[in-house]
Amino acid sequence: MQLFRTFAILSTALTYLLIFIGGMVRVAGAGMGCPDWPKCFGRWIPPTSLDQLPEHIDPAKFNMVLAWIEYCNRLFGALVGLTIAITLYLGLKHYSHLPRIKWPLISAFSLTLFEGWLGSVLVDTVLNPLTITLHLFFALIIVMLLLYASQEVYYLENPDAEKNSDYPSNMQLLFGLMAVALLAEVVLGTEIRGGLEMIRKENPMVESQFLLDMLGPFKYAHSILGLLITILSIFIWHGSVKRSLNPSSLMVQTSTTIVLLILLQIVLGEILVFLKVIPLIQLFHLWIASWILGLVSIQYVAWQRSRVTYE
Amino acid sequence: MSRVTYYILIMIIILGLGANWVIEKANRSYDIPLLRPVPEFSFLNQRGESFSNENLQKKITILDFMFTSCTGPCPLMTLNMSSLYKDFDDVQEVQFVSITVDPSIDTKDKLREYAELIGVDDGRWQFLWSDMSAIKDLKKNGFMLYADDLPQGHAIKFVLIDHKGNIRKYFDGTDEASQKVLRKDISKLVRELRL
Repeated sequence: MQLFRTFAILSTALTYLLIFIGGMVRVAGAGMGCPDWPKCFGRWIPPTSLDQLPEHIDPAKFNMVLAWIEYCNRLFGALVGLTIAITLYLGLKHYSHLPRIKWPLISAFSLTLFEGWLGSVLVDTVLNPLTITLHLFFALIIVMLLLYASQEVYYLENPDAEKNSDYPSNMQLLFGLMAVALLAEVVLGTEIRGGLEMIRKENPMVESQFLLDMLGPFKYAHSILGLLITILSIFIWHGSVKRSLNPSSLMVQTSTTIVLLILLQIVLGEILVFLKVIPLIQLFHLWIASWILGLVSIQYVAWQRSRVTYE
Repeated sequence: MSRVTYYILIMIIILGLGANWVIEKANRSYDIPLLRPVPEFSFLNQRGESFSNENLQKKITILDFMFTSCTGPCPLMTLNMSSLYKDFDDVQEVQFVSITVDPSIDTKDKLREYAELIGVDDGRWQFLWSDMSAIKDLKKNGFMLYADDLPQGHAIKFVLIDHKGNIRKYFDGTDEASQKVLRKDISKLVRELRL
């Protein structure tokens, strides 16, 4: 049981790290670092010099730095897959009678295999924008499933965690709106990213700060929706911290962190839109978005939990 | 601040520094080798004007060998070259050169028609012809490309040539991922030229 808890948390943390590394591959432009899959230039260990390349691959595509960046992403992906597999095994061993732990784990593991396959499609399609978005989307689903399983285990061990807390019962609509808004915001964000790339392809010598001017209404939609999400997060914070009785410390911390992270996202986003497209900031903007999604799911599950206990 | 928050913050800073290092390293990883100078040649373009190795100076050139009646990989090569021609239209330092390997059919007029057909309306893309032996010699000895069985056996490479007339790199003219690298390399050479 102890071991399962450790692995549940470990696989969640590693999946978050993998999202970070995946984002890094993207901003470093290393997505095609290995032009084949699962091997890299026909080898299990990427080549270190041109004469190790197989004949059928154009040597112009070889860039050792990019090949190793992409390869580390794949290795780490395999490690995460393995960790999730172990978590699933332990979960089925101890909790196969509990659907709320069993099914999220089975889904997370299946989606992880799917993600690996999607990675191969990405290489085959030379980074098709829609496939990149799907690759991120399923990573976010996986991490939320793992978080959910971890949280349920936490409640198994601490059944009274939300026993005394009494949150407003009419927050379903707020959470629903938040979920839709966050999903749309992620899609808009990836559209901005993809749009920038398209414009950059057609205007290869234009500096990045001018690229954004050419981008059109997406960036405004992203900002406006960001503002709406801020308001929603404050409402949810107000409901779950201020208007509630004895909110759990998990709820208070999660709700407060969400508001702070969303404010941070606005700052980072506006830097990207109005000052400069800085790769490191792009990376953190995406990564923090994945945190916010995870925290909102924790918040929602905690709220649900209190109602179950209450009823 | 609680101890956990403290640890998380430290971890994020380390991740940020690490990512920054990786991104920097990736940005600096695009080195373009210096292979050899393009030897002297003097051919004619689709308008009957002379085009020689001197015309490679102060320009970044993307060059290929093709013939207009080719049905094999050439349409894809032409499509890729057209796409570069279109996207780099506001970059005056970049020019495109296609040399026919079938000069008996691809006369000056034929090349001009071909250029018009694919939408070439300025001097940024030249279509060159000469006599077969000169073409063969330039292809084989100048560009080190296969030239034994022309026109069918022509190479599918795009050659990237810098502003001093040096061959820098070869790219598969039919491969999408190679084209992406080529675009990056062209931009890099143009930036170097503008410095």
